[in-house]
Amino acid sequence: MTHRDVVKIKGGRGGLSLIIGEDAHIEAVIDGLRRHIGSSRSFFRGAALRLETSGRSLSPAELERLTEVISELGMVIAADQPETEERQRPRRAARRDGAARPLREEQSAMDEHAEERSVLIKRTLRSGQSISFDGNVIIRGDVNPGAMVVSTGDIIVLGALRGVAHAGATGDEDAVVIAFRLEPTQLRIAGVISRAPDGQGPRPAVPEIARVRDDVIVIEEYRP
Amino acid sequence: MAGRAIVITSGKGGVGKTTTTANLGTGLALLGRKVVLIDADIGLRNLDVVMGLENRIVYDLVQVVEGQCKPHAALIRDKRVENLHLLPAAQTREKDAIRPEQMVELVETLKEDFDYILIDSPAGIEHGFRNAISGADSAIIVTTPEVSAVRDADRIIGLVESHGLHDPYLIVNRIRPEMVQRGDMLSIDDVLDILRIKLLGIVPDDQEIVVSTNRGEPVVFDRRTRSGQAYHNICRRIEGEDVPFMTMDTGFMQRLGRLLGIGGRRRNAN
Repeated sequence: MTHRDVVKIKGGRGGLSLIIGEDAHIEAVIDGLRRHIGSSRSFFRGAALRLETSGRSLSPAELERLTEVISELGMVIAADQPETEERQRPRRAARRDGAARPLREEQSAMDEHAEERSVLIKRTLRSGQSISFDGNVIIRGDVNPGAMVVSTGDIIVLGALRGVAHAGATGDEDAVVIAFRLEPTQLRIAGVISRAPDGQGPRPAVPEIARVRDDVIVIEEYRP
Repeated sequence: MAGRAIVITSGKGGVGKTTTTANLGTGLALLGRKVVLIDADIGLRNLDVVMGLENRIVYDLVQVVEGQCKPHAALIRDKRVENLHLLPAAQTREKDAIRPEQMVELVETLKEDFDYILIDSPAGIEHGFRNAISGADSAIIVTTPEVSAVRDADRIIGLVESHGLHDPYLIVNRIRPEMVQRGDMLSIDDVLDILRIKLLGIVPDDQEIVVSTNRGEPVVFDRRTRSGQAYHNICRRIEGEDVPFMTMDTGFMQRLGRLLGIGGRRRNAN
C-alpha cells in the first residue's frame, strides 16, 4: 500500500478534503500526509481540510494526533460550514445536513447517542493545539489563548478557558460551554459567534456558563 | 561522564535566547562545570558574536555532522573561561543542512566529555527548531513579559512536550519591576498563570546586557549588575541549589523588589 492509498487530498466545492483510507494505521496516515504535503507546504499553508474517513472511525487520541500534525503542517481541520449559511439554516436541518462536516461518519453511526458520548482531556491545551470531538468535551486543565476546542455537544473546562471554544458545532443550539474561568478569545455555539468586548477587564473568578438565548450567547454565573 | 543536554528556546525571536545561552554557559563554566554551547541557528549565526569568538571559527556545526571534521576539532575554547567551548553554526548554509538524527548523534558524543550541552535554538517552530530540540534532555523556555512572547512560549511548550521533553523550565527575561508595579507590564504571576511551568529565573531589564552583548562579554562575569546576578542565580538553580527569591509563594514580587533594591510595595493581586 503506497501512501497515496492511505491519504488523498482532494479539492472540491467545499474546499480541500483529506480522505483517509479505510484500514490505514494512524501513523501511516500521518506519514503519508507529511509526504503528500512535503514539498508543496507553502501551497497548503493556511488551508482548511475537511476530514473524510471513509468508514474508518478515528479515536479521540488519533484525531488529536492528526489535528496536531495538520496544524504543524500549517493547516487546520475545517471546523464547520461558513457561519452565514449556518445562521440561515433552521436548527433541525443543520443537524441533518452533517454531510460536508468533519466526523460525519461517526455522526451518522452514533445518531441519537452522539450527545451522550464524552471525552476527558487530562491536560492543558496550549496555543496551537486543538481538540475536536463528536460528543461532549471535558478538559481537566486550561484552554490557553491560541488553542481551540470543537465539540458537537457541550464543552466543560475545569480550569481557565481563554482560547476559542465551539460547542454544538453541528448546529445544536442547546449546547453549553462551562468553565471555572470563562475568559474565551471567542465563543461559538452552533452558528452563533461572540467574542469578549475589546478592552474588557478581568471577569469574575467564578464558574460561568455560556448558552444561546434568542440568537445571542449569554454568559451567567454557573449554578448547578 | 554523562552530560545534560538542555535546549534554550522561545518561539518568538528577539526575546534573548542567545544572550541567555551565552550567560548560562559562561555561568555554569564559572561554577566549574565543563560546558559546550551549540549554536543551532544555522544561517543566522549569533552566539559566537555574543561570546566574542567570531574571529576564531574554523569549522562549524554542519561540517561536523557532515563528517568533514571531528566534533572536537570544531570546538572553540572560550577566551576567558577554561572549561567553556562553543560549536558555532554555519553561516553560509540553510537550516535543513542537518537532520534531527544527526543532531542526536552529535549531542550523545559530546555528552561523554561535557557536563552541560546547551543548545541555542533558532526562533520559529520549523526545521531548525526541531533540530535544536531533538538532542536535548530538557528545555528552558525564554519569554519576555509581553502577550505575544507568552503566546509563542505557550505554543513552544506544547511542542517540546509532545516531543517528549516534559516539565520544561521558564526564564522570564527583561522584566521591569517598576512597570509591573504600575500595572503596565505583565507580572511574573500573570505569565505563570498562563504557562504553568516551573520558573527557573527572572532576569531584569538591564542596560548592562546591551553593553555586554555588544562587547562580546557575557554579563554574568559582573555580578554587581542586576542581570549578571540573576544569571548567576539561575546557574546555581540548574546545579540543583535552592537559591532564594525566585520561589513561587505569596509576596514574591515584594521579595523580588527587595532583591533588586526597590521599595517592596505589595502588589494588589487581581
